[in-house]
Amino acid sequence: MQKNTIISIIISVALIGGTFYFISDRPVSSDREVVQLQNVEIRDGIQYVTIIAKGGYSPRITEIKGGLPTKLIVKTDGTYDCSASLIVRSVGFQKILQPTGEEIIDLGIPKSGDKVQGICGMGMYNFQIKVS
Amino acid sequence: MKTYTFHVSGTHCPSCKIFIEDTLNEQIGIQQTRVDLKNETVSLETNLDESKHKLAEILTEKIKHNGYSLSVEKKAKEKKDDGVIWQALPIGLAFLALFFIVQKSGVLNFGLGGTVTPVTSFIIGLVASVSSCLAVVGGLVLSLSATVSQDKISDVKPMMLFHSGRLISFAVLGGVLGAIGSAIGISFIATAILGVIASVVMIVLGLNLVGVFEKNMIALPSGVFSFLRKVEHKTIAPFLVGVGTFFLPCGFTQAMQVAALSSGSFLSGFLIMTAFALGTLPMLALLSFGSASFAQSKHAPLFFKSAGVLVIGLGAFALLAGLAGLGFINPLFSI
Repeated sequence: MQKNTIISIIISVALIGGTFYFISDRPVSSDREVVQLQNVEIRDGIQYVTIIAKGGYSPRITEIKGGLPTKLIVKTDGTYDCSASLIVRSVGFQKILQPTGEEIIDLGIPKSGDKVQGICGMGMYNFQIKVS
Repeated sequence: MKTYTFHVSGTHCPSCKIFIEDTLNEQIGIQQTRVDLKNETVSLETNLDESKHKLAEILTEKIKHNGYSLSVEKKAKEKKDDGVIWQALPIGLAFLALFFIVQKSGVLNFGLGGTVTPVTSFIIGLVASVSSCLAVVGGLVLSLSATVSQDKISDVKPMMLFHSGRLISFAVLGGVLGAIGSAIGISFIATAILGVIASVVMIVLGLNLVGVFEKNMIALPSGVFSFLRKVEHKTIAPFLVGVGTFFLPCGFTQAMQVAALSSGSFLSGFLIMTAFALGTLPMLALLSFGSASFAQSKHAPLFFKSAGVLVIGLGAFALLAGLAGLGFINPLFSI
């Protein structure tokens, strides 16, 4: 009995630890650079940030410049999961996005040091835009 | 009139107290039954002339179908049960880990382009029933079904009522959405709050299944359990819980509600939501009727405890996610 209890506790701790490591919210540092080049674009003095919403948001973290009028474009493509119900609290945006399409959200002129966070209705997916 | 005190075994839950008291008081010549869960004793007043031993036998006959028995001497506590939790813990956690791995793997994120037809919404329902929505809706179904099965052996009626409530509400409300074309039940805040409530219910039921309340480690007012008992056994309540699942936070459900909304007619909204609910049915039916059949097998204690561990995990996940969605805490994870 004693031995079984110990084995059980070891397996349980390993499972909990492994699962937490797996799902915990940690920044993906390696491909941030690449992603930043692809999804931020400045056209006619307006900064556009593109986020793809499907089974979560990508990229998870984007860095943008402050002091420019900024618009967030959320693209959906056959998206029916939670990421379609988007909340961007700092600009008071709440909407269930069309399964396929683009939603343009005005972020105003973000100041340097700001953080814009988007989260899905159930709270299991999120993304961040950092203003540098 | 004489007063007797018996030892009772099998009282695994606070609602057992109510059940035993109600059942014994219904017997002719028995009054004032009092169950003391802490000391596992039953005291009652009787005007019958039977001996104490005979009386214990007669009364045990009335309640033994529900797993209780009365005795004059205190029975040696069954040791067998103690090790079960140590088997249940890794089993429950393994299922939990499997659930998160499936979510993270992205196999559920295939696209379904074009317009929503009843066929696509059926497929979306199938996907939704194993998606992250399972954490809320499936966890709730599992915790309620396991609790019902534990209290009352092999009673599938509440589960039938739950599933018909779910199907009917999806069909009717889907039709209404299509017909009136404006938002009902798609308030973010309201669904998020419902989700938080559902996850708290799951955690409480999960703790109960694991057996935390059994040893009176945490004392909950028995009012809570008599309320839950009503929810389980009254005809209308499981039906209403089924209806309520329409409003639970689930991205897929909300997307289907929007599709029904923009479909433009009662019939098309009705068809989309019915097909979606039918798509989610196999998985949810498996959870609830699976619980009922496990409850009769010899592995019942292991099943209940594993289910409890799983439900606590899902409930905690849904609670943290729901609070993050409401903006109370920072998101802790992203699956």
